[in-house]
Amino acid sequence: MESIVKKYQQRFRRIKDEMGRWEELQSRLISQFSNASSIIQRLQLILDSRNYGVLKSIEGIEDAVLRKQMDSLQAIFLSINKTMEEFRGVVSIIEKMVRDSGQLVGGGSAKQLTAKQLKQQIGLKPTLEDCLSGLRILEDMHQSEYRLKLSVVSALQDLALKPKSIGDLSALQQLLIDQPNIPREEVQCIYEIIFAEEIS
Amino acid sequence: MPKLVHNCLHLLVHDKCFQVLDEIAVDVASQPSATPKGKVDGQNTEDASRNIPSQGQIVRNSPASRLWRPAAQRNLRNQWSKLASLCNEWQTSASTARSHATSIVNSYLSQRYLDGMDFGVLSDMPNIRTKSCRKLFKQQELYKGELLSSYKDLAKTVTRMIDVCKSMRCYFRGTTNSPLAQFSFFSGDDSDSGDCGGMPVFTLSSIANFEELAWEIVSMFISEINLKRLLVMELLSIHNEKVAEVTQLHWSDEFYEGEFDDLSICSLYSKKTCEIVLPNLESSGSSTTAIIQYKQQKDSDTLQVYITTWMVEVNIDKYRVDEIFAIVGGEMHVDFLQTLN
Repeated sequence: MESIVKKYQQRFRRIKDEMGRWEELQSRLISQFSNASSIIQRLQLILDSRNYGVLKSIEGIEDAVLRKQMDSLQAIFLSINKTMEEFRGVVSIIEKMVRDSGQLVGGGSAKQLTAKQLKQQIGLKPTLEDCLSGLRILEDMHQSEYRLKLSVVSALQDLALKPKSIGDLSALQQLLIDQPNIPREEVQCIYEIIFAEEIS
Repeated sequence: MPKLVHNCLHLLVHDKCFQVLDEIAVDVASQPSATPKGKVDGQNTEDASRNIPSQGQIVRNSPASRLWRPAAQRNLRNQWSKLASLCNEWQTSASTARSHATSIVNSYLSQRYLDGMDFGVLSDMPNIRTKSCRKLFKQQELYKGELLSSYKDLAKTVTRMIDVCKSMRCYFRGTTNSPLAQFSFFSGDDSDSGDCGGMPVFTLSSIANFEELAWEIVSMFISEINLKRLLVMELLSIHNEKVAEVTQLHWSDEFYEGEFDDLSICSLYSKKTCEIVLPNLESSGSSTTAIIQYKQQKDSDTLQVYITTWMVEVNIDKYRVDEIFAIVGGEMHVDFLQTLN
């Protein structure tokens, strides 16, 4: 019994590492997002030939500047997509760990544990039920947050095509920064239960 | 006619043994004082001078060309690394200049906002508005000086790039009778074009090919410095006339001492007519007929477009520049892309 709990704790440690990677990707995505949004905010200005002042003397300058900015935007979108791929990688590692850990309590095998065993607590150690639900909550958080990020990113790409509604940009960016599906306190709480003996 | 055929045959034979002979040539070049090899070489050169009527000019099939190759290769490698580091220098100066330009714009806009600003409790202080404006103005002038000096750095960088383009050839120096082959990067003899009769320097490309690629890059930078000059002119001219009057710059002014010399190296200034070429886009082939300056105050949108235009460098096709460095680096087995940022 104790050894199963230990194995679960190992899973939680590995997920913690993955969450560290998630944070790295998060800060990368935020900087990519803000680079893209500052270009999108400029697009309206660039499209208006009245804003070119003395540069108007040069034929074709508006098109050239616009083309350059669109190229950079394209490049940023490509790198955002790469970052999203990596997010997906983190999510699937967490998913796999949760799936595998179902087998620890003998999913469907002869060693099926009873409900009583699942709730059994030894000292400060977490119950198996704590472990199982904790893992599922973490999995759920990251899955939902990944889906949210996907929709934020696609909204950003839509805005690039219709720069009129740029007011939404800062709201989108805030949503990205907040990560509403991964509340820090709740994550903290789960880890405090799982590693209660180490904290005390 | 028969002589031509003979020469061609000669050439073919020599091309076949280049690979082997080259290695010997490298040996000789690296230790020019080694007497035995030097002697052999001297005899070869004499043979060559008997074959070729026009002295001084190295031709593809002469033994001297085998000595020319390693020297030309060394020179090309050096010149292209120099060009790569100049491209980096440009990047650094251009982004420094951009941050100065942004500061100029910001302190100018702040001066304008000060007019409508409510100073609250501070409004009791005597002359608070004027004093703040003066302070911002002084800052702005400081940034203008910085921008000008970054622009100067950029212009100097372009002239050095042009220098590189002009230093790709490798000339044979010394008499054909001398046992030592010496090379120079400046032409001393009109009959020597410095490209060994268009012989491939590494595998395929001749000196002329390398020059062409280098000029392709450098002409992008020439167009861009010309456009940046226009932006510098505008940015240095912005001021809030309520605070202080500054003299407006004109296209025909010399922005810093010696600027016209630099521009004439870039073929952007004609000393004969005292005219500066008007900025054009490198790609479109359009022609600018005149520069129309507006007296009126610049609004923040226009200034932001100026900064954006500074930043995006419309004349520099980064992909093509990388591509050229990849092609050239591939021939000479140097990875320039790693040094480019």
